[in-house]
Amino acid sequence: MKPLTTWRWNPVQGEYESGDAVPLQGTGEIFAIDAFSHKTMLLLGCTGFVGKVLLAMVLDRFPELRHLVVQVRRRRNLPGEERFYTEILRSPPLRPIVERLGGEPILRKKVQVVEGDLDQPLCGIRVEAVRQLERKVDVVVNLAGVVDFDPPVNESFDTNVYGTRHLIELVQLLNAKLVHVSTSYVAGKKNGRITEDVSVGYFPVRDARDGRHFSVDEEIEWYETFLSETRENRGGDPRPVRERLRAGGMNRAEFWGWTNTYTYTKSMGEQLIARTPGLTYSIVRPAIVESSLHFPFAGWNEGFTTSAPLVLMGGEGVKGWPVSNGPLEIIPVDLVASGILIITAAVLCGKNQPVYHLASADENPILLPRLVAFLGMNSRYKHKHKKSGNRLANLWKAYVETQVITVESLQARRARLRRGLDVIHAALTLGKTILGPDRVSPYLKSLRDTRRQIRQQEVTLDKFLPFMFHNSFIFETRNIRDAARMLTKEDLKRLEWDPKTIDWADYWVNIHTKGIEKWIRPVFTGKEKRDSQHSPP
Amino acid sequence: MNKAAFYDLDGTLLSCNLVTMHAYYARNDRSLLKSAYQLTKVLLSVPLLFGLDLYSRSLFNVFSFRAYRGMHRDRLIGLADDLFEVTLKPSIFPQAQALIHTTYELGYRNVLVTGTLDFTIRPIALHFGIEEVICNRLEFKNHVATGRVLAPLLAENEKARSIHEYAVREGIDLAQSCAFSDSSADVPMLSSVGFPVATNPTRRLRRIALEKNWPILELRESSSKFPPFLRAAKAH
Repeated sequence: MKPLTTWRWNPVQGEYESGDAVPLQGTGEIFAIDAFSHKTMLLLGCTGFVGKVLLAMVLDRFPELRHLVVQVRRRRNLPGEERFYTEILRSPPLRPIVERLGGEPILRKKVQVVEGDLDQPLCGIRVEAVRQLERKVDVVVNLAGVVDFDPPVNESFDTNVYGTRHLIELVQLLNAKLVHVSTSYVAGKKNGRITEDVSVGYFPVRDARDGRHFSVDEEIEWYETFLSETRENRGGDPRPVRERLRAGGMNRAEFWGWTNTYTYTKSMGEQLIARTPGLTYSIVRPAIVESSLHFPFAGWNEGFTTSAPLVLMGGEGVKGWPVSNGPLEIIPVDLVASGILIITAAVLCGKNQPVYHLASADENPILLPRLVAFLGMNSRYKHKHKKSGNRLANLWKAYVETQVITVESLQARRARLRRGLDVIHAALTLGKTILGPDRVSPYLKSLRDTRRQIRQQEVTLDKFLPFMFHNSFIFETRNIRDAARMLTKEDLKRLEWDPKTIDWADYWVNIHTKGIEKWIRPVFTGKEKRDSQHSPP
Repeated sequence: MNKAAFYDLDGTLLSCNLVTMHAYYARNDRSLLKSAYQLTKVLLSVPLLFGLDLYSRSLFNVFSFRAYRGMHRDRLIGLADDLFEVTLKPSIFPQAQALIHTTYELGYRNVLVTGTLDFTIRPIALHFGIEEVICNRLEFKNHVATGRVLAPLLAENEKARSIHEYAVREGIDLAQSCAFSDSSADVPMLSSVGFPVATNPTRRLRRIALEKNWPILELRESSSKFPPFLRAAKAH
């Protein structure tokens, strides 16, 4: 819908302003069109949420692009090249663009696919292919990484730490420049404004731990010892190896002040890059990447490490939300893709900074209590019109408002709920003895399903607590704003960095929530079903 | 040159009005007590609003929008889809979608020109597939409605002025364009185009339409035929 009006919404002031917005006047120090026309980019990690949108944006907005190399990992029996053409180019964000550009034959002329894997030396690219790329690739853009918050620590290390080592080797061999995508949350458990810098030896609780120092090499030593000890199980721990590796990573991250294994290993990757002499690089740190604002179309989302699980839980009728009064640092995926391209152009033009945050709260914060109210309204909408399920439960979910609560209150609610479910369980077990299993078993199964669902919700919520309750961040974004100002006028028609104009209410209600319901819920529901089929009764 | 079809909303494409829309928001406040208080206010204001509407549509709008004072914009946007499903969608006239589809097929640019508020319009426009909307906006301070409307208040002569301005900007030939409304308050808008249609007209507009020889269309009745200019063009 296109409202025909002279009024513009100012989301920061919370009021309408009259007159047209003053467009950004680029100084022309960075010329992205020229850079992408004459230089070659090697893109790693284009199979992910951000990677696909970035690839779509490069192809769509830079028809002048002569040559692009993409590294794609083989998936089981599907070779990288085949995966690129059958899976990636046919994904929802890319399919319409590929069709508009004239189909695969045109792309085959522009895009070279090389198979590889960040976990392997030289990122898994064959030596002959690397030789071919030498003196041809000008910049390597790496979006590959393990983004799960708490995977077994070896998975995170293999990609985010060793993978970064392989990446550096490859970049040095190609004599290229590097754009490495990390995360804003490498800041760890800190509060307040987070500056755009990277320092070797950084760990979040450095101020509180006098005398301690952090070294990536020592962490790698620790990891290798921990890994072999865990696999040999010298301590006789009864938990499965995978679970112990998961817990080990989280404990180590916690010890140094990071929120999870993901941010801990990503920070180490950054430090490896920062300490490499002679390397021209920029580290890009997006905040929580969310549904697209406009490109490739409004509401595109496939990220499970976004706020999607929370939105889905809100839609299921969760009422108590432990959040602080601070902002949630979210940023639409198309702004992230645009930001990465601006930074890549800056690197190619020699105007880059070492670190760029891609976040929104510095210019246009969306406060968490507002998001809690949106979750409640979505629940109201979904359950008011719901024909299936328990009618009373639907009424409760539709008409009882969401609340901001404390963590203590959350724990008390959980304890009450568990006690209640225990009582019901005891009653049903007694009923089973008296009335027989045929009449009671369906209720017991339903109770088990409810417990499982509640457990899953608790685990999800706990994973997000560091970002919603325990810590309150604002990531400074001066560097990307400066870079955008350095573009040419022509570039600014193709690349935007303007989070200050996002109307969060419209975005959250009409774009993000609907995008998650459309693109994520079906996948999530399928995954949940598969999990419950595989989990023990 | 392009041509456009300008549509009024309330009473023309659906049977709701500004008061029923506001009553929805009032009864869906955050707590039951607040909802009851807000709804009572709306109900008490009905006789006054009814009288004002007879006297002046602009004054009616000004007073009805005052009731939004104190409401948070997030809530108004967050509840708009529900308002549409609960109140607006069931009140759409049987032939409304067919009419919009016909004008679209005939090459008219469909434009909603309505005194309704922007956040309420969005799901309706999406439902009808109408891209362009000229509507009213509330004034907000720090995300909270002040109860005032941003200038210009879209009603009566202002609707006519808005479509003239739109036509100049978009290169629209108003003589080849059509407009649909139910109310005599929209006579200036209807008079601005070459093909005005009194749609589900009030008694006063019906009288004017008969005087001016404007076609009359009843979207409430599925048997009602579209005016000749739409049928003739369709035949081509």
